[in-house]
Amino acid sequence: MAASLLTPEFIALISQGVTTIVCSRDQANRPSVMRAVGSTITPEGRTITVYLTRRSSRQLVQDIAATGSAAVVFSVPFTHRTVQVKTERARIREASPDDEPLLARYLQAMEQEVLRVGYPPSLTRAMLSHRIEDVVAVSFEPLQAFDQTPGPRAGAALGEEGAA
Amino acid sequence: MSPADDSASMAEIRPCLEGAIPAMMGTCAPDGTPNIALISQVFHVDERHVALSFQFFNKTRQNILVNPHATVLVMHPVTAQFYRLSIRYLRTETQGPLFESMKAQLAGIASHSGMASVFALLGSDVYEVREIERVEGQPLPAPLPRSGMLGAVRRCSERLSRCTTLDELLNAALGTLSDTLGVRHAMVLMLDAGSGRLYTVASCGYAVSGVGSEIEMGDGVIGVAARERTPVRILHMTSAYLYSHAIRSSLRADAPGMPLDTDIPYPGLAEPHSQLAVPILSAGRLLGVLFVESPNDQQFTYEDEDVLVAVAGQLGSAIDLMQAATEAADTGVATAAAPVAGAPLLVRRFGPNDSVFINDTYLIKGVAGAIFWKLLRDHAQQGRTEFSNRELRLDPSIRLPDVTDNLEARLLLLQRRLQENSPHIRIEKTGRGRFRLAVGRPVVLEDVAG
Repeated sequence: MAASLLTPEFIALISQGVTTIVCSRDQANRPSVMRAVGSTITPEGRTITVYLTRRSSRQLVQDIAATGSAAVVFSVPFTHRTVQVKTERARIREASPDDEPLLARYLQAMEQEVLRVGYPPSLTRAMLSHRIEDVVAVSFEPLQAFDQTPGPRAGAALGEEGAA
Repeated sequence: MSPADDSASMAEIRPCLEGAIPAMMGTCAPDGTPNIALISQVFHVDERHVALSFQFFNKTRQNILVNPHATVLVMHPVTAQFYRLSIRYLRTETQGPLFESMKAQLAGIASHSGMASVFALLGSDVYEVREIERVEGQPLPAPLPRSGMLGAVRRCSERLSRCTTLDELLNAALGTLSDTLGVRHAMVLMLDAGSGRLYTVASCGYAVSGVGSEIEMGDGVIGVAARERTPVRILHMTSAYLYSHAIRSSLRADAPGMPLDTDIPYPGLAEPHSQLAVPILSAGRLLGVLFVESPNDQQFTYEDEDVLVAVAGQLGSAIDLMQAATEAADTGVATAAAPVAGAPLLVRRFGPNDSVFINDTYLIKGVAGAIFWKLLRDHAQQGRTEFSNRELRLDPSIRLPDVTDNLEARLLLLQRRLQENSPHIRIEKTGRGRFRLAVGRPVVLEDVAG
């Protein structure tokens, strides 16, 4: 197993629970986008899981299922520290009650992050509202990672591209 | 829910486009690799178009030039309602009203979000909006709409319609903005077509009126709004568009030996956090700028902008009407001249820019200076006190640029500068297109060759 493409800093950033945006595309290369209601990363940084609600992400979930293609951005609202990861082999499963503690922790972390930029927890709760039976989990091992923090280094690739 | 129920109008998403919460943009490379970018701002162009800032040659840029289809996710900053915009790239503008308006607004957003150091606008990417999807979720209740914006426009319109002089008109405009929109700091600047500068002719809410102070075309939000003839709205404090030091005095080098203290201080707030400048246009011509500002962030919404544009439109027409109206018969009642007494006033004119000083204190220059000089000269030589706009227009010594020049505004400027600086000499309106020069002290005139 190759080491993670991600630096320890970015693994920590993703672990802490920050803004998570997911993008895929259909067969005609039309992009689909939605904010995730949760995200997590394995401690060594190999596998990432993001959570989407079906009702807010019908096209996106369909596109990931059909193409396996996904780009995910993680960004700290207060500092704009941002990383983007990409995959061609995303897997989708239904979320279960076992995922609920993780989603609750993510919500709590996001309430703090969003509060730092001046918005109340009520807004964050509305933004991330979901019913667990409507949630799907999308897991993948990043094939590419980019430092996407605005500035001169934006878009710089991290590590080496994984073997396809 | 049917697709029709999901679709939203541009009007519905306008609150999402204020730059409060970054929008997310998805694009796709020709090989099928998707990409996400945080975008500083989605700019409302019209009901069918938005513009996005082009700040870097990044992946998004590469993608849209090859595959113009993109999806943008925006969120309402109060309800957390998400909207997805399906958009298609059309073109990039690198100058003009849209570009300048976005540049000014982005400068404010960038400085607010701590991104000022990486801010640069290379272009405004214009996109066709093909569909707006209201994303299913559990949004919070919508905030109550700000009541009475249309009522505010109506009250302002009624007050402007009753005005018979430029003086009243400008006071009414600033007064209603204060009464109906809670605007505390505002000014009106008029264009001097000859110099290409804007001069302050009315203001409210400042320690000094600043009447007569000038701004270069293109300087700050006021100058950009004038040059591009577009509203410029800034929601956050920004150093990029502060222009308190941009005020120019054209006098210094013009006439050696002239007293140097000629700057009329610009009246604006030292640390504005929100600013909105709207061009005053009439019949396609730029007449000036209506400007409001606030020490607080996010003070002016697009709704305030809508009101100000409407008010500026009526103001422009009214200013033009007052300018165009033929002089009516003299309705002024001839009054006995005020007694002339006290220490004489030394009034000096410096050519070639007609700057006028009273007892070594700078009063006015340019066309208004030439007008003042003519009035005092006629008063001294012929004892005249009654004058008409018409004779000023015909007088070659005043050099009014052409018929589009706003003589009424020059006279008002002169009248207000005298009120503030030399109460012994007054200009009083005596009827439409007529006025009286009231001189309360002996005057000594000295013409200093330029």
